[in-house]
Amino acid sequence: MSNKIFKAALGGATVLFSGLLIWAILSLILMPEVSEFVESTLSEEMLYSIKLSLFTSLISVALVMVLAVSIGYVLARFTFPGHNLLRTIVDLPMAFPELVLGLCLLLLFGHTPFGKWLQSMGVNVVFSKYSIVVAQVFTAAPYAIRVVYGTFRGISPRYEMVARSLGCGLLGSFLRVSVPMAKGGLFAAAVIAFARCMGCFGTVLILAGGTRMYTETLPITLYLNISYGNLAMAMSSGIILIFISLGAIIVFEVLNQEVVL
Amino acid sequence: MDLLSVRNLSVDLGNFSLKDISFGVPEGSYCCLLGASGAGKTVLLETIIGAFHPKQGKVFLRGKDVTAWPPEKRRLGIVYQDYMLFPHLDVRGNIAFGLKGQGLTTDQIDLRVIKISRQLEIEDLLERDVATLSGGEQQRCALARALVTEPEILLLDEAFSALDVNTRERLRMMMARVVREIGITVLHVTHDREDVWALATHVAVINDGEMLQHGTPEDLFRRPRPGYVASLMGAGNILTGEVVSETGADLGVVLANGTRLYTTENLAMGSDVTLSIRPEDIIVAREESVISARNRVPVTLSEIKRRGPLTWLTGRSGDLELVAVVTSSGYESLDASLGDSCFFIFKASSLCLIEDNSQAMGIASNIP
Repeated sequence: MSNKIFKAALGGATVLFSGLLIWAILSLILMPEVSEFVESTLSEEMLYSIKLSLFTSLISVALVMVLAVSIGYVLARFTFPGHNLLRTIVDLPMAFPELVLGLCLLLLFGHTPFGKWLQSMGVNVVFSKYSIVVAQVFTAAPYAIRVVYGTFRGISPRYEMVARSLGCGLLGSFLRVSVPMAKGGLFAAAVIAFARCMGCFGTVLILAGGTRMYTETLPITLYLNISYGNLAMAMSSGIILIFISLGAIIVFEVLNQEVVL
Repeated sequence: MDLLSVRNLSVDLGNFSLKDISFGVPEGSYCCLLGASGAGKTVLLETIIGAFHPKQGKVFLRGKDVTAWPPEKRRLGIVYQDYMLFPHLDVRGNIAFGLKGQGLTTDQIDLRVIKISRQLEIEDLLERDVATLSGGEQQRCALARALVTEPEILLLDEAFSALDVNTRERLRMMMARVVREIGITVLHVTHDREDVWALATHVAVINDGEMLQHGTPEDLFRRPRPGYVASLMGAGNILTGEVVSETGADLGVVLANGTRLYTTENLAMGSDVTLSIRPEDIIVAREESVISARNRVPVTLSEIKRRGPLTWLTGRSGDLELVAVVTSSGYESLDASLGDSCFFIFKASSLCLIEDNSQAMGIASNIP
């Protein structure tokens, strides 16, 4: 009897949570009229926002993957003093609220000698389109690093040793063996990073500012329009973000079967 | 000069270490590195290939110190127990892997791939996905990949262990043929004595990170040392005794547990010695005069264990206990059962000296 109650309790919690979540998502998707959604999506502001989000996210994903592959490989293959500390440091932004991360970056690029040096070189990272990319990279990189690290850890280093015994250098064994063997995990990392970049809000808001038709990405569009009371635009940007996230999660789950996180 | 030579090698991996290992592998030899699981065989192999940096000591290839060389400069081929075939390449891609980047044309690469594939009888598998191959096929593919680059030495890490008995035996025979044809030097890490008997021209025994003995299989078979080596090489009955008659014009005599045993070993009068007799060197008979060997020990059968085609007989003579092995059909014709009297008969030359008895006494653990 107690087994049945236990199973029923587990099943109940699962059904309740997933049911409410699906209900919440459907309530957003089904709320606007189709004509309202189409009109909002084709508006100048929304098209600008979609283009900017896609453009910055693609650049950010490229940068994130360079970082994730480098750091994930170092963590998976090499032992050195401070290994665990490095893992904790790169994971930190996942635990931070995005607003706090944005504030940290604002101070780094606005008030430190490093930020001032960048400004003197003509690179203005604060309240500009560059800052969208910086905010997205710092927000998405920890997730991608985790996936890449898990992928490389799941590949025996003996494959690389065999490749090296066959004449490949460290770079050759990495490019000819490790990367092809990790391609599923690397693609999954890119997909999850893309979803995080597209949905990045708090960090972008603080570092880039939520300026209409300038630093306006999709989450910023949602925020600005809900502030103005323009519900159709807000809901349309929300629906677009849901479909992007849904697609990313499906691709991630399919590709991520063998990644050990 | 040895092709590969390891001098005073120590490796510290935190939870395991190799201690002051020295041995050599002569050119053209097939050297088996024999030891139990956890003895340090694979760590030694991976240090030789360059995966681990030694704390001290050196690795020499053709007399050159290669200790600081990266693995790709050493030109050593390796085959692991679990094959490590690259799953993103087919069989042809795996075999050709090491040839790309060597300045060879596509035709030259193809020729070499086909030649080695023929030798290892996998020519018809070249277009197959490696995941669809059987264990034996994967192993031959891994061997082909390592051999096609013509390495200085082929390193095998428990290369046949994951295979079933029949496939293993077939691969041993193929390995012996291929090694003969190519003339390559091999260092084969194994825990299986069958690999030694079937393939080795040299053996090195390692235990708990220490090299215990190296030499020819005959050396280790007839003169195993220390005691652990004797056990590992299946020396069988290990006895201690006192030399009561020095070897001279006549045979030496050792008093072991009250029984006088004759030996051809050179022994000093009055010394305490440890000797071994292999179970297969003992003839079991109901009559004393069946054969003219000098040692004829009357025993009472205290244990009989039948293991397929072989039967292991334990005989007691006072405090002396000996184990003999006979074929099961031989045991049937002996017509003896527990408690019956028999003679354990063996030549004086079968009683071999063990120089260090620190790790094995009594009947060795390899006897069922």
